Amino acid sequence: MLSATLMLDGGSLCADEAAPTFKHRVTGLFSPDREQDLRGVLEQLPGITLQSLDYAHAEAVFQYDPAVVFKGTKPEDIAKRFDEKIRAASSNTFGIQPLYLVPHDQLKSVEIAVVGLDCKACSLAAYETVAKIEGVTQATASFREGKVTALIDPARTNQAALEKALKKKQVSIPSTSKP
Amino acid sequence: MRLQLPLCLLAGTTLPALLHAAAPAPLGAFLESHCHECHDADVHKGDLDLTALAMDFNRPETFARWVKVFDRVQSGEMPPAKKARPSLKQMEGAQLWLKEQLLTADRTHLQNLARTGVRRLTRAEYENTVRDLFDMPGIALAGELPADGSAHGFDKNSDALDISHVNLAKYLEAADHTLDLAIATRPEPPTVQKRRISLANRGGFVAHIIMNGDGVLLKDKKPDPDFPPAGEQAHLDQGAHERMGSFTNGSSVGLFRHEDESVSPYFMEHVTIYPGLYRLRTSLWSFQWDKGVVLPAPGTGAARLSVVQLTGDGRGGQHPSYVLGYYDAPSMDSQVHELTTWLNHNEIIGFNPASLAPVAIYSRKGRAMAFTGPGIAVDWLEVEGPIHPQWPPAAHQVLFDNLPLTEWIPAEHEGKRAPVRKKIRQIGAGMNRPDADKGLWTVSSKDPLQDADRLLARFLPKAFRRPVEPEVRQEYLARVEARLKAGDSFESAMRYAYQAALCSPDFVYLLEPPGPLDDFATASRLSYFLWNSQPDDRLRELASKGQLRQPEVLRKEVERLIQSPRFERFIEDFTGQWLKLRSIAANDPDKKLYPEFSPYLQDCMVAETRSYFHELIRSNLDAGHLVKSDFAMLNQKLATHYGIPGVTGTQMRKVALPADSPRGGFLTQAAILKVTANGTTTSPVPRGAFVMARLLGQPPDPPPPNTPAVEPDVRGASTIREQLDKHRHETSCASCHARIDPPGFALEAFDVIGGFRSRYRSIGEGDNAPRGAIDPLIGISFKLGPAVDASGELPDGRKFQDIREFQSLLVTQKDLLLRNLAQQLAIYATGRDLAFSDRPALELIVQRTQAQGGGIRTLLHELVQSPLFQTR
Repeated sequence: MLSATLMLDGGSLCADEAAPTFKHRVTGLFSPDREQDLRGVLEQLPGITLQSLDYAHAEAVFQYDPAVVFKGTKPEDIAKRFDEKIRAASSNTFGIQPLYLVPHDQLKSVEIAVVGLDCKACSLAAYETVAKIEGVTQATASFREGKVTALIDPARTNQAALEKALKKKQVSIPSTSKP
Repeated sequence: MRLQLPLCLLAGTTLPALLHAAAPAPLGAFLESHCHECHDADVHKGDLDLTALAMDFNRPETFARWVKVFDRVQSGEMPPAKKARPSLKQMEGAQLWLKEQLLTADRTHLQNLARTGVRRLTRAEYENTVRDLFDMPGIALAGELPADGSAHGFDKNSDALDISHVNLAKYLEAADHTLDLAIATRPEPPTVQKRRISLANRGGFVAHIIMNGDGVLLKDKKPDPDFPPAGEQAHLDQGAHERMGSFTNGSSVGLFRHEDESVSPYFMEHVTIYPGLYRLRTSLWSFQWDKGVVLPAPGTGAARLSVVQLTGDGRGGQHPSYVLGYYDAPSMDSQVHELTTWLNHNEIIGFNPASLAPVAIYSRKGRAMAFTGPGIAVDWLEVEGPIHPQWPPAAHQVLFDNLPLTEWIPAEHEGKRAPVRKKIRQIGAGMNRPDADKGLWTVSSKDPLQDADRLLARFLPKAFRRPVEPEVRQEYLARVEARLKAGDSFESAMRYAYQAALCSPDFVYLLEPPGPLDDFATASRLSYFLWNSQPDDRLRELASKGQLRQPEVLRKEVERLIQSPRFERFIEDFTGQWLKLRSIAANDPDKKLYPEFSPYLQDCMVAETRSYFHELIRSNLDAGHLVKSDFAMLNQKLATHYGIPGVTGTQMRKVALPADSPRGGFLTQAAILKVTANGTTTSPVPRGAFVMARLLGQPPDPPPPNTPAVEPDVRGASTIREQLDKHRHETSCASCHARIDPPGFALEAFDVIGGFRSRYRSIGEGDNAPRGAIDPLIGISFKLGPAVDASGELPDGRKFQDIREFQSLLVTQKDLLLRNLAQQLAIYATGRDLAFSDRPALELIVQRTQAQGGGIRTLLHELVQSPLFQTR
């Protein structure tokens, strides 16, 4: 049995007798229960299955046959097409992004206390506020737990920038947050 | 002389010398003994010098003055009670003589005139006529036509119904629009789409206010666990909530805020594409919200469904075009309401939790989690339609009978122009979608001219409301032929003729023969009277058989028309003008003085007066009920407003009044009290004038020139009675105000929104006001000022202490009330004012009605049976 791993657009390709697998960064994973949501969304995308999920780093391995699922798409455009498909199927709550190039051990974890609503959609809004900041590789948000977390590239952003963005979004932040 | 004068008048040979001579006996003696003392050249009280008033009944001005003299004497107002009374013989002799002169002169003047002028349809009549002719019960046309004028109290008079190039242009547009909707353009009906939608679906405005605390999402009668109520912090990012499906998860929408200047909720997922009938179902309930907890409501709430016409890009026109109805929202118990209604292009359904107090929680600290108060929940709205019981629809069959619809293949119609189809643009955010294009379909004929002749022979008499001469039909047929020769399709050629017919005088005007009406004119007069629309098949059939004018047949038909739902059109149109209900929204009550006022209350006011008038007819009650009654037509909102317990729900129903209630009859109905007030204060003068003109048939003269208006005093320093006192005691004003003011004084017991009061409200001085029946969530800032004095004295010296005593005095004048109503109905039904010489006929109607118990339905019958009604 032949097994191979190929890098494609920041993701990885594993080929065996079945469809190859690819690793992508997934946006929208702001809480653990989003994995279930992601699986639900993928049910709407025939030919794509979720093989594994690294929630902490928002990286997932998918199995699909590009020649079938993304027929006629250039290899370098596959991630983009996948992103379009998953956004359409999830009302823009999930997305596919290239893998972050900075090694995990060079990322810094920050945690910001938030208060306010106990609402999943509000958590999405808080997550997106943080996740779209350049230098943020993964974020979580839970008003139920009262915190927003992020893995950041310290060279490109910092906690203050995240807090500023959250406040601008009208998220209530108590006076002290863990650095 | 007594015999000679009328002969002179009849011959039209009157001489000025004779005309200015002293009035002949017995009138002359009467005037000299009882009138000249005050009405001669020296005193000329009321600007009347009877010694100089010519006996010239041919001149309209002098004729009118003598009529006024006659009326004042006949009513007993003149000579004044404090003066020496003439003997009965002297009085009757003078009256009889003057009456004969006036009748003779008036009949002579009118003998060669058609009494009812040729008149066009009012815009309400036009719309109703098109709706009934084509069985398109909701096509909207009236709003696009120019407003009608009004003469003698109603808009159905030729004096008021002028026509201009604007009218003609609008008739062309209206006919075009009518034919667009009537003509079938597809082989089968549009697909019936059935969709259950949420008020907050797909986000939008309602979702926005919910996110900010003016409402909540509810599941199983509890807050939706996936969408907690807006608390200290508003929900973040509406888009994120929409994408997460917060508003599409089947939750009910509970609102705390009713429609206002900033808030106008509507169900945005249905935007009508195909005009037609739609079945609407909605599920409503009410609750008490207590900072995040759903509790039973204190009573049944009310929600309004309305139709909203979207305009522009779909963001405009958010406030209702018209109200579909108010519906019960029982406490914690979803109630499903169903109705079928016509919807036009780009119309959507609006929603208003109408019974709520004016509350705005939006962005307030704590938002919904800090609010305690009532809410109204809507689980869903289901829209199903368009519903076409047959295809092609009835409207199409009116035009094309059973000719087949076929696809237009250009190759088969070489040299012919295909019928034009207008592109329908759906605006807004509707989820309903148009059907796939089926190609170009049109009605086809193998023998176009023969079919055209047959179709026109069928259509024109129905549209013109009478038989149509062959030569008239031929004119229309010639138009069809010309269009066919010019290359039009059969449909287009016929459409051209139909549009011409719908804009022709035969359709737009009510044409009646001079003298007695024939059967067809009778059918039209009857149906435009009681249905505000064209005669139906039954009336046309009876007319064509020559049977309609038979008294018994006519009586049965009047009964049939009264029993029909279309009779509501008469109730609405007649009361809208007679009792000025059309002016109900002419002003908005001052929010500081009347914070409890709401559009819902206003709609209930109008509904009460309409329901009451309908009930008088339904139960054939006498004219005394116009001013006094032991029942009222109420729903919960009005009953609360009137302080009457035990009435629940939105529907109007007959409610027995407590023995000591000041309510009963039109005078005490909130709608009447509002249309006679200015939104801030009341004045006995307009209210008194309303009673005299509208209920007693004695319209007061207009005030003399340069009479200053009485400025309202809302500071509470003085009452209107005190302000009027000085004015009333001026000699030039006293006589008129002695007649006008008493009814107005009695009605001072009611404020500008029809609330009963013992003290005036003030925004300045006064005592703190108790809350009474005002909703606890409504802030009260007004004070209680001076006490109301609702006492007065009628011109005949009878005194009253309050509204109840006034009603008791007024109800003794049943004859006067009945006569006035007969006159108002006659003017409305015939489309003309009543002349002096019509009085005997009117009197006969009144007498015959009285002889049968005086019921108002009887009055309708007697009017229709009378020569007054049956003569042009």
